[in-house]
Amino acid sequence: MTAITPTTPKATPAQVFSTFWAMVRKELTVLSRYPVDFIASFFQLFIIVAIFTLAGLTFSETGQATEGTSGVVVYGFIMFMFVSDTLWTIGFNVRHEQVQGTLEQLYLSPASKFASLIARVTHLLIWTSLLSLMSALIMKAMLGSLPVYNLGRALFFLVFILLGTFGIGFAFAALTLRVKETANSLANLFQFAFMILGACFFPFGALPEWMQSISRLLPPAHGVDLFRSTLMNYPPGFPELASVQTETTVVIVFGLVMPVLGYWLFRRAEHHAREKGSLGEF
Amino acid sequence: MSAITLPNRTPGKPGPAALISAMFATVRARLLIVSRYKGQLLNEIVTPIVLAAMPILLGRATAGDRASEVFLANTGTANYVGFMLIGSAVFVIVSNAFWHVANWLRWEMETGTLESIYLTPTHRVFVAAGTGIYSTSRSTVGAFVAYLIGSAIMGINPFQGDLLIAFLFILFGLIPLFGMTLLYGALVLKLKEANAMLNLMQWVVNFLMGVFFPITVMPAAAQFIAKLFPPTWMTNGVRSAMLGVGYFFNEWYFDLAVLWFFMLAAPMLGVWAFKKVENSVRRNEGVGQF
Repeated sequence: MTAITPTTPKATPAQVFSTFWAMVRKELTVLSRYPVDFIASFFQLFIIVAIFTLAGLTFSETGQATEGTSGVVVYGFIMFMFVSDTLWTIGFNVRHEQVQGTLEQLYLSPASKFASLIARVTHLLIWTSLLSLMSALIMKAMLGSLPVYNLGRALFFLVFILLGTFGIGFAFAALTLRVKETANSLANLFQFAFMILGACFFPFGALPEWMQSISRLLPPAHGVDLFRSTLMNYPPGFPELASVQTETTVVIVFGLVMPVLGYWLFRRAEHHAREKGSLGEF
Repeated sequence: MSAITLPNRTPGKPGPAALISAMFATVRARLLIVSRYKGQLLNEIVTPIVLAAMPILLGRATAGDRASEVFLANTGTANYVGFMLIGSAVFVIVSNAFWHVANWLRWEMETGTLESIYLTPTHRVFVAAGTGIYSTSRSTVGAFVAYLIGSAIMGINPFQGDLLIAFLFILFGLIPLFGMTLLYGALVLKLKEANAMLNLMQWVVNFLMGVFFPITVMPAAAQFIAKLFPPTWMTNGVRSAMLGVGYFFNEWYFDLAVLWFFMLAAPMLGVWAFKKVENSVRRNEGVGQF
């Protein structure tokens, strides 16, 4: 009698894509069931923009923002929205599946885990792109002027920045599997740290020198700096953290290395959780 | 055999001591739960400092060395750091009040205990009041510590101006604030999954209160709406007492009198709205559904 050795089925690229698309469709369907959320998030964006615009104008002698200031604030805000979505959504979704009790079931299916992770943030990127466009238009109307140069190059950088933050998103999801409920508080703290060290609402020059030194160690901060400097056509003093060449290198390496590293960390955390039998625990 | 005489009390009607005991049991339970989440408490101190830091840094970058001078011309005080820190500290108290009441209701719904609260002899108002006291103590202490730490980091004197009047504005502002939280509660009772709406309202509150700017920079219609909102008077009162930005009616006692009016009006409006929604929900799907 011969023993049957079960082999792990390997998903073909078509199957991986099919899983990815099914997950994106599922997320979009869930999202479409909450129309109030759509409307609320749009108005929320409008109010946040108004608040920071009015706050900025209390420091203006003319009651109008300069092109430089509006570029820094608007593009910093857009980067903040993209980076926040990409960073936390994967981890939050993993946590949500844990709480709902469906995470363990997902791991029992032969569907690609990678595609399932990526799909959790894809639908949000579509929505965030729309919101970013709207916020740029609103802020332009409120602030008077907004510099738009080198759009193609800026979008090229944006792709690499997002790839890199996907990687951090995987790493954060790994952390979520380990620390469970504490991940919420950690996400808030990281987000606040990014708001300040990433200088999303002001130039890096406003930070004390020691904080700028920390910012220089953070690739997403270089991403914010390079993205907005490019759209502002590199005015004097921009980019602030390093030269264009250095920041371009940092952003590209970040975009290529971080997803691999983040996914590796996620697989390790997942393996650890499966061994301990804590995947479904929350 | 002699009959046992029971104390003279209507069955099912708890006395005042029992009601107060239930209220403080709620406070204790909620404080005990939150003490297990130290990260959340740390967040509450970090949040107002980070919120205030953003416009402060933006202002320094925009106006440079003349930041105080320009800010004085636009707002009435040169102390922009104090202005922003007071704004964000009061905002955290206000925002937490709304969230704690809304989250409490939602949590009871999800854990299936809301209907049980309606069935107990203790009136739900006392359980809600317990949540209110918990929220006030938690966020007032958090906001005060954040204000002190923020002032130390940014190098300003936290104790300036008329502190007693500032305290009165906070004290009298809390009552209408908790009256208004019932409106949030009504929203949660009606919509159930109301997180997006609550998020939006949090920013609307921030805007109306003038957390980062004086409301005089808003259009006239927006100013009128902002003045119907009690926390606007609370924030401006504290700022005027400590930084001298100017009361809406020039004297502190007139502004405080307006808060006294809100102390009557806001709870009445909140209770009316909550009862209306509550009755409708109880008649239809019941309060236990979520």
